[in-house]
Amino acid sequence: MTAPVFVDAKFIGARRRRCGDAGRVGVILFILMLASCGGVKSAPPGEPLPAGSNQAASAAIAPVAPTVTPPTPPPSPPPASAPTVAAQAPIAAVEPAERLNAPSTPAPASQPAAKSGAPAAKANPKPPAPPAAAAQIPTKDVVAQNAATPKAAPLDLTSLETRLKETQAIGFMTKIALKNQVDDLLNQFRAFYAGKLKTTLAELRRPYDLLVLKVLSLLQDSDPSLAAAIVASREAIWGILSDRMKFAKFASA
Amino acid sequence: MSKPVTVCALTISMTAFFTGLSLAADDAATRKDLTAVIALHGLPCGEVVSVKTQGDNDHMVTCKDKNRYHIFINSAGRVVVEKQ
Repeated sequence: MTAPVFVDAKFIGARRRRCGDAGRVGVILFILMLASCGGVKSAPPGEPLPAGSNQAASAAIAPVAPTVTPPTPPPSPPPASAPTVAAQAPIAAVEPAERLNAPSTPAPASQPAAKSGAPAAKANPKPPAPPAAAAQIPTKDVVAQNAATPKAAPLDLTSLETRLKETQAIGFMTKIALKNQVDDLLNQFRAFYAGKLKTTLAELRRPYDLLVLKVLSLLQDSDPSLAAAIVASREAIWGILSDRMKFAKFASA
Repeated sequence: MSKPVTVCALTISMTAFFTGLSLAADDAATRKDLTAVIALHGLPCGEVVSVKTQGDNDHMVTCKDKNRYHIFINSAGRVVVEKQ
């Protein structure tokens, strides 16, 4: 098969060049349109770690602590006056903050304890004890850290609310429906604390869990980082809802 | 065909193509949104297969299981799902 001889080679070349130009223009337009169609999601700052990894969460306890320390000061002053009377659970919750605030050298802490006498000796034995326990029985320390980690999880309700409002994973009508259900649950808590609703906190926990599960099921595929943040804050939010004073403060805010 | 005409034709055809894709994506997003709303209300549906928009935030939907719902936002700002 040969090309017809009457076709001018220059004409064919010019035609090919034109096709090439049009093709290039088409490719550039295609890329530009693709670029305009695609949206880039930027992760919001201060994004918490996924809740699944306890080791990662416990390893990241140092950066997390500054955000948590503002709520903890109310419980922290009492240890100076009456540390031995405090219950075990609050101690576990406060321990990481004490470790962070305490000086790294245990020897100076023990010297003033020896000098100051019996009352100081009662107060001081606790700070040096955790490092020793960590050295001798690491499993106990890990368990204590794991127990303390959910309580130390950062709770930034404003950030969570903003992220929920802005997420593309939930549609507009779904967001409104979810907000309706959140408002209904808050009204139930209001009625409960006002004595108008005859129920228990344990019974109120069920609709709360159900609502959280609904939100998670909507988010887990399309916005896993937000789902993880909500899982991490789940107990902290329940802590607010189940405490009359905290709830009153939250509701008034 | 001259070069400007070719470019113009390409632009128009691609714009039409991507607009069509975008509309289809919007429709899919609406169906997904309304499916989630019905599920949140605990009503049977499975999946929304068709949506007829009657106004702002007012839709008539048909589900895969042949259930039909009227979904709208009432004056109190609540999402209402009415079985038809």
